[in-house]
Amino acid sequence: MSDDHPHDHDGHGDSHGHHGSPFIQHHYDDAQHQFDSGKLGMWFFLAQEILFFSGLFVAYVLYRHHHPEIFSYAHHYLDVKWGAINTVVLIMSSLSAAWAVRCAQLNQRKGLIGCLVFTIVCAFGFLGIKGIEYKHKIDEDILWGRNFDPCIASAGNHLLNKKNQCPGVKSSVVWSASSKKADRGCMEGDYDLDAHQEGVQGKCEVHELTMGGVGKNRQEISRRPIPPCEELAIHADGHAPAVEGAEGKSGHGGAHDAKKPCWELVENYHVCPSGPAALVLYGDHEVRTGVEIEAKCEAAPPPVALVDAFADPDQPIVEGQITFRKSERLTKHEAQHKFASGPPPEHTGMFFSIYFAMTGLHGIHVIVGIFIFIWLLIRAIKGHFTPEYFGPIDYAALYWHLVDLIWIFLFPLLYLIH
Amino acid sequence: MSSDTVTKTEPNYFEVSRGLKSWLFTLDHKRIGLMYLFGILGALLLGGAFALLVRIELFTPGETIVGKDWYNKFFTLHGAVMVFLVIIPGIPAALGNMILPIQLGAPDVAFPRLNLASFYLWCAGATLLLVAVALGGIDTGWTFYTPYSLETKTAVIPAVCGAFVLGFSSIFTGLNFLVTIHKFRPQQMGWFQMPLNLWALYATAIMQVLATPVLGITLLLLFLERFMHIGIFDPNMGGDPVLFQHFFWFYSHPAVYIMILPAMGVVSELITTFSRKPLFGYRFVAYSSLSLALLSFLVWGHHMFVSGQSKLANMVFSALTFSVAIPSAIKVFNWTSTLYKGDIRLQTPMLYALSFLVMFTIGGLTGIFLAVLSIDVQLHDTYFVVAHFHYVMMGSTLIAFMGALHYWWPKMSGRMYPEKLGQLVAVGVFIGFNLTFLPQFVMGSRGMPRRYWDYDPEYTIFHQLSTIGAFVLGLSLFTVVCYLMWSFKYGKKAPKNPWGGTTLEWEAPTPPTLYNFPEPPELPEIYNYDDLVEDEVNGGFVRKPSTTPKDAGHGGH
Amino acid sequence: MSAAQPTTTPASDGHGEAHAHGFAHTATVKVLTRTFIALMILTLLTVGATRIDLGGNYNLALAMAIAVVKATLVVLFFMHLRYDRLFHSVIIVGGLLFAALFIGFALMDSGQYQDTVLWDIRNPPPAPIGPPPIR
Repeated sequence: MSDDHPHDHDGHGDSHGHHGSPFIQHHYDDAQHQFDSGKLGMWFFLAQEILFFSGLFVAYVLYRHHHPEIFSYAHHYLDVKWGAINTVVLIMSSLSAAWAVRCAQLNQRKGLIGCLVFTIVCAFGFLGIKGIEYKHKIDEDILWGRNFDPCIASAGNHLLNKKNQCPGVKSSVVWSASSKKADRGCMEGDYDLDAHQEGVQGKCEVHELTMGGVGKNRQEISRRPIPPCEELAIHADGHAPAVEGAEGKSGHGGAHDAKKPCWELVENYHVCPSGPAALVLYGDHEVRTGVEIEAKCEAAPPPVALVDAFADPDQPIVEGQITFRKSERLTKHEAQHKFASGPPPEHTGMFFSIYFAMTGLHGIHVIVGIFIFIWLLIRAIKGHFTPEYFGPIDYAALYWHLVDLIWIFLFPLLYLIH
Repeated sequence: MSSDTVTKTEPNYFEVSRGLKSWLFTLDHKRIGLMYLFGILGALLLGGAFALLVRIELFTPGETIVGKDWYNKFFTLHGAVMVFLVIIPGIPAALGNMILPIQLGAPDVAFPRLNLASFYLWCAGATLLLVAVALGGIDTGWTFYTPYSLETKTAVIPAVCGAFVLGFSSIFTGLNFLVTIHKFRPQQMGWFQMPLNLWALYATAIMQVLATPVLGITLLLLFLERFMHIGIFDPNMGGDPVLFQHFFWFYSHPAVYIMILPAMGVVSELITTFSRKPLFGYRFVAYSSLSLALLSFLVWGHHMFVSGQSKLANMVFSALTFSVAIPSAIKVFNWTSTLYKGDIRLQTPMLYALSFLVMFTIGGLTGIFLAVLSIDVQLHDTYFVVAHFHYVMMGSTLIAFMGALHYWWPKMSGRMYPEKLGQLVAVGVFIGFNLTFLPQFVMGSRGMPRRYWDYDPEYTIFHQLSTIGAFVLGLSLFTVVCYLMWSFKYGKKAPKNPWGGTTLEWEAPTPPTLYNFPEPPELPEIYNYDDLVEDEVNGGFVRKPSTTPKDAGHGGH
Repeated sequence: MSAAQPTTTPASDGHGEAHAHGFAHTATVKVLTRTFIALMILTLLTVGATRIDLGGNYNLALAMAIAVVKATLVVLFFMHLRYDRLFHSVIIVGGLLFAALFIGFALMDSGQYQDTVLWDIRNPPPAPIGPPPIR
């Protein structure tokens, strides 16, 4: 049979003298026997690695098939450029690994060392780019599971509410006067009020706002409630309400300071459970840095027609879809991605759980590969490898090709989703 | 081959080097096998201790010795230790490592350093499980089902890490065996001239290499879930707990065949040797080993009939599960046919082999009942299932392990164990085992749920019988371990071929030399007992000097 | 004392001279570079294909098809499977088949029970399988 090795038996004493490589182990007949056995063992190991990754592919296939919306939304957070560069880098390293085997077979020691070095450099490059990608995600809180909490919608708009959680949860925002935007939490002044959210069950209304934290002079500001502007009888922009007939420009009609902070919901803005928090404006225009503002939402009973799923099963209720009021038609591309400018659909963190698990496990395999190749490089420099004994190079190259293979599938599956 | 005819014998594998370092850094498969054996027997005693604690607690309804939380930990640890440390490594690691190369006529396995690494991985896994025990144990059941395993405060993470490491020990052992069987067979030993034990180990190794990585990824994901809350299996985050079960059982069903297949291989050897008759239907047994390895991957859903798996999947898996019974049945028929008109010797290994036949039949048949979807809905998570899997895992695999241990003990240690005591204890094991688990079939079918600390008083008598049986069983197994250890020093010196086996290991010295065969042996025709006659003087069997020299292929090839 | 094997045919070995070809096929520069170039082109293709909008599933199918072609090139030429023993191919294909089995069954089953899954608590599955919404 083709896979059997017919043993030679000329006694081991002779064979050592003839062959010269001290790395042929004692229980093998000869170098060919050792090489073939090692190769077969490596192929079994690769089959095992395929099964090891298969679990993650199962998770990917299942979640993508059953919840394509989170994949459509979330993949925008990934930068195709970096993914493509990584693909190219890995393919180059695969070439150099295969070439290293060739060099070893032909006793080209310098070539072998060069190829091994190139492979290691490429591997480091891959990890470096991965590091850049991961850092960006960690910075923006684009992480797995419940840690998925970005400020930026995947199409690039800012989200008002960082916490995409169930109603009744406070949303904390820290306002930075210097950068005029929220340091923690996301609150932007230029939110598009026209984009309403429809078809959502349950609504929240802001009923209390508190302010506290560390002030500009680094003193502790104890948390105190901010009264609604109508209580103070001023408009949110600092001006007193117009008395009948008169233009109100300054705060007369009350003993309160126009600079006192107050809050007002703009245009009766309602909060959605997974959507933006209340848009608040302050009568106090001097907003202090480091001040933490908390808005407490209270869930209001939703309109009956929407909440009772049993009432009208034909009415599709799709969470998180934004209906634009614009009159122009969306292109097909935009229609597919109109999602992406709004808040993430439910459990978008699941995409990133799968993303980090797959790329993380792959990255661990790259790291292991680096260690292996460094070890091989040291041995190659010492001159261990000859045309008669180059098994370790071959097996390590096979392992490395598998790492490349997995990335060849990971790249389109994660980065090139449509 | 050395030119001088030796008057002094080459040292055996014990004597060839001494000292702790020579064992800890050995590359000799026999020493590695022996170290595995000690570890596995130790783990057997630990798992057995947990089992006895479980059974003591169940002696009366309500609290007997401990409360429910501790009870949960006892049965979980019993399961985890037994499955991961004893039964899955069991025969392949302890006995396969010892015997496989010798049966092939090879000097060692293909990758001796990997073999040592596998052993150290086993030790690391065992240590991690012990860490989990020391940190208060786990109470999730050995199956680690989510979402409970994500929420429980017990030491799931060390246990999961331990099982992960043990998985890789298993994978590397399997890989080693596959390459050894492919590359180290002598020219004359084609695939169908191999002993059936090697067919079984080959099929097992296929499963080890293909299925165990899925356990690896499952445990890795469970670890990430607990540690970093990634949410793949947690319904609160959109995850799917049934998916965890798919992942888990995709490995764990082939795992049970990893447990039983080496046992079947051993039983093939025992039955033919102790009936002095060639095995009936060699090719059928060989092919059935392979088909069992492949079919075992198709049936994992039968553990999940009531888990939330869809009706369609339930029906498909139920139908496929019937098919997986066929190769096992073929083997049982072949073994029984081998016994027919054989010259049966009831020595200890044979007693274990016969026990295996009885108990595997019971275990296998009750598995068919559980394969029937409508019946399983009633019997799932009852003691019926517990009894079924103990019959196949313990009553079959462990019994075959004991049989194999006794069979090859003379070869491994150079000593005979006390035969009469061995036979007595074998009967004790049989009685104890059946006393423990037969009542469990009855109470399971009457509705006693498994993993329950408390129960209705109507089940008390069954539980009490079961507990008594457990103690008989435990005592018998403990006795086995004791007299085997005793025999190391005080046992009678063993002849080369005490049982008259025809496979190649019986041609090796007892105990074997470092590279197993000081001189290349002649390849016997396996399962042909005509040449062997009893040696009145030394005990055991020797070959009749044959008139035509059986020259294994010099030049004629 | 040398360890010996069961007797078999005597050796006929040319191992005295170091023959590279005796061990394994040596990849030629031509094969390596051409495979590399093909892989690069396919990578560009797969990125470019995302710009063409064929509708969700066809884009995925195209991307997967290109990935399979790339993978085949890597396996056949970089990993030498084209020139290697057939059994090695059997091993890899076998591994892939079992992985496919796993994915297939899990997908089939999970598809069947999706309407029992409470993915979004505010949007439960329709009656009668889904639970009523929790208020």
